[in-house]
Amino acid sequence: MNATPDSTRSFGRAASPATQPWVHAPARRPGRADRRAWGAFALLAGPMLIGLGTFKYVAIGWSFLLSLSDAHGTIALGHWVGLDNYRHLLADPAFRSSLVRIVLFTLAIVPVTFAVSLGLALLVHRVRRGRAVVRTAFLIPAAVSYVAASLLWKMCLFNGLPAGIANTVGGWFGMAAVPWLQTTDPPLYWIVLVTLRLWLQVGFYMVLFLAGLQAVPRDVYEAAALDGATGLRLLRRITLPMLRNTSVTVLMLQFIAAFQAFDEFYNLFNSGLSGGGTAPVRTPLVYLYDTAMGAQDYGLGSAGAFVLTALIVAVTLVQGRLTGFGKGGE
Amino acid sequence: MSAHASQLSRRGFLSGSLLFVAGAAVGCSTDPTGGGSSGARTTLNVWFHAYGEAGTQQAATRYAEAFTKAHPDIAVKVTWVPGDYTGKLNATLLTDGAPDVFEIGDFSAAMARRGQIAPLDDLYGTAAPDFNPGDLAYVTVDGKPHGVKMVDDVVMLYYRKSVLAKAGINPPATFDELVAAAKALTTRNGKGLFVGNDGIGDTPLLAVLSNGGDLVTDGRVGYASPQAVEAVTGLKRLHDDQSLQLGFTTDWWDPSALVQDVVPIQWCGLWAMPAIRTALGDDFGVLPWPAFKPGGRPVVRVGGWTSCVNAKSRHVDAAKRFVQWLWVEQTDLQKDFAESYGFHIPPRTSVAAAADKLAQGPAKETLALAAQYGRNNPNLWDSTVSTPFNAAAAKIVSGQGDPARLLAEAAAQAQTSVDRQHSG
Repeated sequence: MNATPDSTRSFGRAASPATQPWVHAPARRPGRADRRAWGAFALLAGPMLIGLGTFKYVAIGWSFLLSLSDAHGTIALGHWVGLDNYRHLLADPAFRSSLVRIVLFTLAIVPVTFAVSLGLALLVHRVRRGRAVVRTAFLIPAAVSYVAASLLWKMCLFNGLPAGIANTVGGWFGMAAVPWLQTTDPPLYWIVLVTLRLWLQVGFYMVLFLAGLQAVPRDVYEAAALDGATGLRLLRRITLPMLRNTSVTVLMLQFIAAFQAFDEFYNLFNSGLSGGGTAPVRTPLVYLYDTAMGAQDYGLGSAGAFVLTALIVAVTLVQGRLTGFGKGGE
Repeated sequence: MSAHASQLSRRGFLSGSLLFVAGAAVGCSTDPTGGGSSGARTTLNVWFHAYGEAGTQQAATRYAEAFTKAHPDIAVKVTWVPGDYTGKLNATLLTDGAPDVFEIGDFSAAMARRGQIAPLDDLYGTAAPDFNPGDLAYVTVDGKPHGVKMVDDVVMLYYRKSVLAKAGINPPATFDELVAAAKALTTRNGKGLFVGNDGIGDTPLLAVLSNGGDLVTDGRVGYASPQAVEAVTGLKRLHDDQSLQLGFTTDWWDPSALVQDVVPIQWCGLWAMPAIRTALGDDFGVLPWPAFKPGGRPVVRVGGWTSCVNAKSRHVDAAKRFVQWLWVEQTDLQKDFAESYGFHIPPRTSVAAAADKLAQGPAKETLALAAQYGRNNPNLWDSTVSTPFNAAAAKIVSGQGDPARLLAEAAAQAQTSVDRQHSG
């Protein structure tokens, strides 16, 4: 019973491998073992921490200072403007609407991805012959880059020509050819965005669920079967509770991935030189990309990055509170 | 193949992988940009966006080599940048790897005012009067030119003569006629007009200019004027009629939609004319964007690329020399660049007059259109001004919200950034 929660829990501690021996060999000769463990810890974790510090935390700190500066066309600090960037950003209807859109998008895409990948995992788990083939077939799209997939979706599947694949299929049922990405009423572009994201992500989360399913001990099911539990009851009372840690992790990863949506929105609606102003939907990251890389307003761009980060942290905390992430093996 | 040979031994596998790694290392270390040479004291890094026409990249490299021949102590490395050129350029300008010389498509006064590009007033010399006055005004910020226009790109409507004749439609001379023609030419299998995958493209600014409106004049954003509101609202008719091709595989700057018979009328540039001619022979004509109302003034857009010097470069003098040598002095190379690959108009009037390939057929008509109706975007027209405008236009043509209010809000937002540029 202990195996599942424990192995999932250590996922969160992967960065500190040296704590394991210390836990398992408690303080008989604390001095020496302690020093050796710390030495190993420093040796193993040091390069990673230094790299993380240099390339992440220094950059994050710098970006925070930039968000308090007027930085047009430069990332040099010095022209402090206090919270002006934040005020300007939150007053911009384009940014506010991008925040609203991303929240709606997240609320829609996360449950769908979750349900589809869990359902797929349950089905694949039951396959007896050729499970590896089926599993691989669903996982392969996860290896495709968002950019390549976006181009496929935009140019082959959902282009506006009568010869496009989606329009051809529609034509069999007497539908007139429609421009999928440009139709705003009804907003057909969501079909393109959602199918693309599902195709790319479902396989990956399915594999996480499969790993969780395989870690459920067989004797639990046997005991339940002896008690007469079958079918849906087995799923609700045994499988889903045993998958709890996996589910919470998957949910958190999906929330973060949804809030960070950029690649497919950028690549589906942009075509290189024209800028993103006419896209029917811009995510916060696309807005920030246009602000920083297009208009070279790095102060405003940094401020936006922190607003978005705050949003992601807030949602993750709320989610952790509700689902008990990180509390460990109950 | 014998069994012995097909079985991979451990040693064979090891040496095979080593060879592969070595090959990959050699492959990666070969400089893909080319053009640079050793022995020179200074190496200039020169950036171009990826011109679509075959031979343009080789031409740029050739010019660089010729420059090094004339200036043996300055080597030139040409970097050809595909994809989102502006994004990549802006990001690189923050680093040590920034190019010394680069071209920009929408010349922006803000970059000059921020001190990102060097003033080039000493490069023109006696050639200044030979430059197209519009081009010189375009690159001039606070009294000094901050770039040298490399090419003028005329953007206009191309139409298939045979298709229009067959449908009994005259080339449209007013916006009403364009709307009617696009609608009449739309069938179950194809649309009548292509202006861009988003259905917006240049049309909002064309609409404003063709109705006597203004975009930005003397630091005032003018696209919320009554003429502008009327004209941008007029574009909605094209969308309501569903006569625009949307979501094609390439965008408006590529002539594929026209030459592949997808649409009979397309908004595209002079650069594509050689490709269109190869594909369609004489079966095409050119038109300006028609006047919004009868008796009004049609528009063709004159864009193009401007060569600038990175003001923070360590080799500003060498970089200026390169720009001066190539885009001011070398009239032969300018002529070659303007007429041998895609078609462009050389900004030096004497070079333009000597470009014989531009002096015949539809190219000649295009030059006449540019001279009569050509409009440069003002150099205050950067993404902080154009993005709110295009976003508002996209909402207006799809019927979301009140046009006057949308444009007024967009103009107010753009005005803030223009004002900041002048105060900061």
